[in-house]
Amino acid sequence: MTKQTERKQQPRKAPKKVGRLLKPQLSYKVEVTDKDGRVIAREEGPSRSYVRQWNELFHVQAAWVYLGGGGTVKDTSGSTCTDARVSSVTFKSNAGIGETNYGLRVGKDSTPVSINDYALGNPIAEGTGIDQLEHQLTYFTGPSVVGSTLSFTMQRSMVNHSGSTISGIQEIGNYMMFSCGMYTRFALGFRDVLGSPFSIPDGGAITVTYTLKVTA
Amino acid sequence: MKRTLWYSVTVRDRHGKVISRERRRSRSMLGNWYRILYGMMITGCCSMVHTSGNSWGTCYLQDNWDFRGDADVDYKSIVIGTGTTAVTIDDYKLDTQIMQGTGSGQMRHLASTPGWPSVVGSDCSFLTSRVFLNNSGGSITVRESGIYCRCKGPTYYGYACIVRDVFGTPQAVPDGGSITIDYTLGITA
Repeated sequence: MTKQTERKQQPRKAPKKVGRLLKPQLSYKVEVTDKDGRVIAREEGPSRSYVRQWNELFHVQAAWVYLGGGGTVKDTSGSTCTDARVSSVTFKSNAGIGETNYGLRVGKDSTPVSINDYALGNPIAEGTGIDQLEHQLTYFTGPSVVGSTLSFTMQRSMVNHSGSTISGIQEIGNYMMFSCGMYTRFALGFRDVLGSPFSIPDGGAITVTYTLKVTA
Repeated sequence: MKRTLWYSVTVRDRHGKVISRERRRSRSMLGNWYRILYGMMITGCCSMVHTSGNSWGTCYLQDNWDFRGDADVDYKSIVIGTGTTAVTIDDYKLDTQIMQGTGSGQMRHLASTPGWPSVVGSDCSFLTSRVFLNNSGGSITVRESGIYCRCKGPTYYGYACIVRDVFGTPQAVPDGGSITIDYTLGITA
């Protein structure tokens, strides 16, 4: 091996990271109301994280990975789809009433967010039984530009008609639809663990709002 | 929030020797990135200006965000230009794009395909790279880059500018040389 070849094979020092901060931002707000609609608890802050499925699904679109193209995405059941493909429903999150396969969700797990999270740790189910919530629409406000910032929001309320207080709500996140081969599947896009657990009184509700924002 | 977009610029002379390099956090994903995202999340439509300047909007569609680039294509994928106008949230195209070709002020656009995402530690990222060759017969100074992707409004297909950056340092590409633009989209938990 010549000295020249040797020099070429040496690992290159990583370039110094310079420049201004990119400013796409994700933030959340959680409000709990009692049966009279009064706000009894509230928390807001920057979102802790998108998880890997967000980037994997974006890649499926950007690289136009088609049927049989080998797109790999783990769904919310823990099964790995090996045929994730471009689709018009990728990222679909506007869930209807009672729909829990996609849209915003809440849960009781407090495990810190990991890039490999594929579902909430302990999601609350739909219903009026013990520890169940009635899921309303996940709806969006359209993008608006103020100054050099564009933002839009997504929001969902979940109502407690279980007959008793549901306590220990400590995680929130968004499930999104995607296409796996000829089937529809669902993936976690982002998840946050709240600073403290929330309790929802019987007849009350929890409302989760995420704001997606980018500043030029 | 730990979502990042990085770009790097590498200029080589006609012998392949690196003569200049710059790496920065991308100045901006543009509003159009989020307009397409919004349309996809609601499986609906949203107003948006295409790179053509037409207000054709964007609707949910399987082609959205496709930014693969075939060789010689200058209307999709990573693109470059000579403009220096500061980035704004509603930019819908590069300031002054360098077009495909070998004429004066033109560069040859090579093919580009986004790489597969990889997870390392708590990061998940993927790289998209494109090489441009200067066979114009003179030096060309590149000052901006961006990403154009496929999109469709209620009626018309088109292309949207979703990323635009103005370089910290203008990059002069000598005749016979090349410039390589890398964009890395990453998220960190």
